[in-house]
Amino acid sequence: MLTKYRIGEGWLGYPQSHRWSAIADVLQSGSGLILGLFLLAHLHFESSILLGKAAFYRVANVLEGGWFTSSGHGSSLLTQTFSVFMLLVVMVHAATALRRFPAQRRQWQALRNHNLLINHQDTRLWFWQMVTGFLMFFLVPMHLVTMITNPEIGPHLSAARVWHDNYWLVYILLLPAVVIHAMLGLYRLALKWGVNFHRDGLRLLAKILIGYLLVLGLCSLTAYLLIGSGLTTPVTPFIP
Amino acid sequence: MSRSLTFRIFRYDPQLPGDAPKMVDYQLDETPGMTVFIALNRLRAEQDPSLQFDFVCRAGICGSCAMVINGLPTLACRTLTAKYSDAVITLMPLPGFELIGDLSVNTGKFMRELAERLKLWLHPKAQQADIHHLEQPMEPEEAAKLYELERCVECGVCVSACATAQMRDTFVGAVGMMKIARFELDSRDARTADDFYHVIGTQDGVFGCMTLLGCQDNCPKDLPHMQQIAYLRRKMAGTLIASSKV
Repeated sequence: MLTKYRIGEGWLGYPQSHRWSAIADVLQSGSGLILGLFLLAHLHFESSILLGKAAFYRVANVLEGGWFTSSGHGSSLLTQTFSVFMLLVVMVHAATALRRFPAQRRQWQALRNHNLLINHQDTRLWFWQMVTGFLMFFLVPMHLVTMITNPEIGPHLSAARVWHDNYWLVYILLLPAVVIHAMLGLYRLALKWGVNFHRDGLRLLAKILIGYLLVLGLCSLTAYLLIGSGLTTPVTPFIP
Repeated sequence: MSRSLTFRIFRYDPQLPGDAPKMVDYQLDETPGMTVFIALNRLRAEQDPSLQFDFVCRAGICGSCAMVINGLPTLACRTLTAKYSDAVITLMPLPGFELIGDLSVNTGKFMRELAERLKLWLHPKAQQADIHHLEQPMEPEEAAKLYELERCVECGVCVSACATAQMRDTFVGAVGMMKIARFELDSRDARTADDFYHVIGTQDGVFGCMTLLGCQDNCPKDLPHMQQIAYLRRKMAGTLIASSKV
């Protein structure tokens, strides 16, 4: 029988409280699903730069709520608000996913021994999901805090951030980390809750998406670098 | 002409003072239909009587001869040597269990402790505990479902193949969840769903599973671990979140 912990007047619940174990699991999966699906949309939106400056300008204006403002440019307040929301989702995901991390040296040793001894693809994939997840504890806040403090988006303003502010260094690390983590995460999510049990097909789809999103992301990052290198400071916003 | 196989076997006897873990190579001519179990018996009979490994049934029923064969945990008696084209077969004991010696591990101790912890035996309803009354008949459909889950031979492969179980000693593993599912399904068992949730609706149970699927991929009895754990997760999450208990 489990014992309830009590501090002062308040009950803290049971150790390993069952309901909270379930809630934590659902929160981790739910936040992961939101983040994974958002990434798929995000990478496509920002890659519209590959279709030209005017295309990206229009996408940015629409996403900033241009339809609802008289100028048609929208408001960067929307970017800031959405970035704060995404930061909160990331925090929920990180807090609940921490349960999965090997926290002690003995656990790392067990994982290393296991990977050396047992030949198992899904465990290796999870290992990389965990490593990329750890990297994102640092990389994602850098990206999101920038979008909160400096939310201007546009073909020139975004390119200036990438080139002149050296943000390509963050993105070149963040891109593979987030793509690998998110696609493997979505694959695992489907199996975990029994949404789909066609493992081979799902795993192949995850791998194809990883390759596709990496190419897409790298091409658009190169486009921003090329545009940014051609800009002189102070940078003037792009007007079609 | 038969091949000459090389068996690279983990050797270590914890009972022997001064002994250190090492890999030892043995050569053996392959015979038609040879399994790893047959090869081990010949090695012990013809080359090294001190070689330790477990077996009972030789037919994939007792689960005693589980070991890691070329990186995959499985049953030695069901593994044909012919499937290894490079003729080198590496044998390691199952990780995660107490080592008795060489390839022999104490899965029995683990399974007994797990059974005592999770109470993995039938808790009959009051009227059924009386041996002077006839047992209630069971519907064939229910018996078939129970039989499917009852096929587990407690070989320990799912525990060895699971990185979560290797990292967290208290994790019940696929074998624990499968057996809980088996008793939950049994209409003769007096325990309620709440009692079962209490046992595995935790971080050490279904919510601690990271869906690495080593259990699903290596189970020598092809038990549906992936589907079973997903089912338990959905069922428990729905019930527990809706409940007012902490």
